[in-house]
Amino acid sequence: MSKVIFQIEGGAPVVMEANAGDNLLELARRANVAIDAPCSGNGSCGKCRVKLLEGELEGGKTRHISEAEYAEGWRLSCACTVSGDVTVLVPDIASAYQSRMKTADLSTGKEVAIFEALQADLRQSGISFDNTFRAVELILDAPTLDDTMPDNERISWALREKLGVSHVEEPYEVMVKLAHTLRENSFHITAKGELQGDTFYLMDVTSPEDRDLIGCAIDIGTTTVSMVLVDLNSGKILAKGSSGNGQIRYGADVINRIIEQGKPGGRKKLQDAIVKETLTPIIANLCKSAGLSARSILRLCVGANTTMNHLFVGVDAESVRMEPYIPSFFSWDGLKAGDLHLPAHPLAKVLVAPNIGSYVGGDITAGAFASLIWDKDEFSLFIDLGTNGEIVFGNRDFLMSCACSAGPAFEGGDISCGMRATDGAIEACVIDKATMEPNIRVVGEPGQKPVGICGSGIIDIISELFRCGIINAKGLFVREGARVQRDHHGMGRYVIAFPAESATEREISINEVDIDNFIRAKGAIFSAVDILLQSVDMDVEAIDKVYVAGGIGSGINMKNAVNIGMFPDVDLEKFTYIGNSSLSGAYAMVLSDEANAKVEEVAKNMTYMELSTHPGYMDAFVAACFLPHTDAARFPSSKQEG
Amino acid sequence: MSFVPKTQAFNAKINAVTIGTGEKAVVIGGQNVLPFYTFDAPIENAPKIGIEISDLAKEWTAPALVEFYAGCETMTDYAKRAETMPGADFLVLHFESADPNGNDRSVEECVADAKAVAEAVSMPIAIMGCKNVEKDGQLFSKIAEALQGKNILVLSAREEDYKSVGASVVMAYGQKVGAESADDINLAKQLNIMLKGLGVAPESIVMNVGTAAVGYGYEYVASTLDRVRAAALAQSDADLQMPIVAPTSTDTWGVKEAVASEEDAPEWGNQEERGIDMEVATAAANLTGGADAVIMRHPAAVATIKKFITELV
Repeated sequence: MSKVIFQIEGGAPVVMEANAGDNLLELARRANVAIDAPCSGNGSCGKCRVKLLEGELEGGKTRHISEAEYAEGWRLSCACTVSGDVTVLVPDIASAYQSRMKTADLSTGKEVAIFEALQADLRQSGISFDNTFRAVELILDAPTLDDTMPDNERISWALREKLGVSHVEEPYEVMVKLAHTLRENSFHITAKGELQGDTFYLMDVTSPEDRDLIGCAIDIGTTTVSMVLVDLNSGKILAKGSSGNGQIRYGADVINRIIEQGKPGGRKKLQDAIVKETLTPIIANLCKSAGLSARSILRLCVGANTTMNHLFVGVDAESVRMEPYIPSFFSWDGLKAGDLHLPAHPLAKVLVAPNIGSYVGGDITAGAFASLIWDKDEFSLFIDLGTNGEIVFGNRDFLMSCACSAGPAFEGGDISCGMRATDGAIEACVIDKATMEPNIRVVGEPGQKPVGICGSGIIDIISELFRCGIINAKGLFVREGARVQRDHHGMGRYVIAFPAESATEREISINEVDIDNFIRAKGAIFSAVDILLQSVDMDVEAIDKVYVAGGIGSGINMKNAVNIGMFPDVDLEKFTYIGNSSLSGAYAMVLSDEANAKVEEVAKNMTYMELSTHPGYMDAFVAACFLPHTDAARFPSSKQEG
Repeated sequence: MSFVPKTQAFNAKINAVTIGTGEKAVVIGGQNVLPFYTFDAPIENAPKIGIEISDLAKEWTAPALVEFYAGCETMTDYAKRAETMPGADFLVLHFESADPNGNDRSVEECVADAKAVAEAVSMPIAIMGCKNVEKDGQLFSKIAEALQGKNILVLSAREEDYKSVGASVVMAYGQKVGAESADDINLAKQLNIMLKGLGVAPESIVMNVGTAAVGYGYEYVASTLDRVRAAALAQSDADLQMPIVAPTSTDTWGVKEAVASEEDAPEWGNQEERGIDMEVATAAANLTGGADAVIMRHPAAVATIKKFITELV
């Protein structure tokens, strides 16, 4: 047995017992040490680097680690095995995603305003935000030798009287605490439950002061989880929070996660990662900050993609990945918080926004609902940017949807200096055409030095490189200068920050391979839009509105995104960024029974198109893998400054 | 009333690219109709045939081919003999042996060969490299420099090296260049756009949009040729109006129909005839699909294709 110490930068060390030959990344996962491993330990992404402080490790020398870095002790954890006692440093960048992820989680005033505007629109469209949850104050007579009515009849009778219902259903969970609660509160209590028609479904009895009826709306993204607690009566947001999806250490994208959950014990591992390690702490934190008991959460709603839905409930997701791509469930009525051991009332229903296909899930149905595109005469395009790009097009008469695999490039994966949008990420960039000098904006406190580049930064940099004629339409460098450097194979790169300018003292640059990866990602999005429009015999002229959703989208410069041919070239005023629409939809669903029914209806009316089997998709994709597009006439406003 | 056929010439036309100088110069492309649609409009320049001469020609085994070149020692000998081949329009010097993973013949030797040939022949010259991006880059640049003023065609510039090839061959030395892509209309167009972006005039560009011997995935070639030509003429896509030069012989003489000996495949009949048939079938398919010139090897195949062209134009 050897002892492995994970010295976490800015955190307490974690000690693990290990056998010789144990893989270091595997060990870190078992120890719950968060090491960013988007490729799930295939050795292909080069992100899971750790630094050797004491002892030795077997292997770890890969093309991602230079000679100099190897000599300094840097190793790729997925490529190392334990050979004796060892201490490794886990860099802070690896754990950053868990705590400081910048997402559309309502953390800034701008994001709150976007969220509230969307909700106001929903209310204005005539959706009733009523629900059936009631908290009823009851003052009962205490039983005496003469008044011999048992506790449950006493409460049932009082509720019938007060609410005018003829039936009260009392679940087991209430019966077991009833006697104690009544006596502790001298028969002055609050009865919480749902009033449906002629029946009151009792859910809880509490002290008279506790009248909290709480709903919990959750967006489970492949990368990020966001959540709000709301007052079911007023719709007021009581607490909000977000964190990275704990499943990240099992792979950055849904395919890797599905493969991982298929291994022995994998389903439990993945479910624990989301339920126990991600959702439970956030709910606990939010309840604490809002001064609420988790038992007051009487309804939850989850907006998540099809794979996340499956992994969340612990249902085998293998069928999502395999032809004919039919998941285990689309929508599901009957899931309770107690089934998943979520910190909420055990009888609280967990609503799952309905999936409509393997790759168009509840996050999209909830998001499309929240965007109100189903309620308009005008034709809207809804684009949710993430690891998968999902696209919906239509109006009140029809809705078409499809999904494309954009890969992790929007979230900084597959990009040599890419990172998620945490502190230190370059999120915006302008380049001076003459001097080729960049002017960057970095996520974080003022004075934060750059660490890497996130999706919106990459869009800006590529658009600017193209505009300034530094790269050609294929993403190859065609100008030379101090900022344009080449390796010994002649591969060009653009240096955004020299080692002295970066927080990690490593150069931050974007190379031709990065640009190529990104061009493929944007090509996937645009060609999906293209094919979807073609399928209804329309072109971009027909688009009246474009709604861009997704946490990644908050920093997107629409003009630059059009300039590189990622979004269709329509009037920039037609673009609206709507933030985390999945969370907005889930919020509406948890509050409103009508919204809930409407999302089901929207999902049922949405036609899903499988692009992987579409004969024209590959062609459209290759045509779109060019800046801005092989057919430049489709992007008249994209100009390279000559 | 007599029947008057309706003609459908297009408003757009394929660029006419001239290679070579003087009387023997040839013009490739220039028509505004689909291949051999002479009933729509006359075809200005009949498709051309380039004769492949390899610096590994000594390894050729087809008896009639060996006989045709009997007594030839140097590349110049081969080139002078090829000029006499009925049907030949231009000569293609194929520097296969420059491949660093093969004979790794030096750039200087290749350039000397090219120069000697250029001095000895009057037909236009095209150059084919060894497919190694780095070596081809040096080779093309040096040959283009040495043969300045001869208006040669260099095959080819690819996505990986279009910049250096385009800049040296066309911009610095005024030669013509072939843009080579792999069976995809979009990739073909993208390469042309990039070459134009570099400052290469469209009239200096021909295309090789991908080739294969018939029976070896040729349907991809066929559909690419069809679509490229349709885009050029019907949609007036100026980025695809470059004439197409299809290197036929390099594909067809390497497939098993041409290579398998009669002992190994007695049921297939005479080996040389098989090779000729493959070359004829592929060249004919290339030409009817839209190629404006084909590069061929065997005199019998060249004669057949020449007849085919003459009778159809």
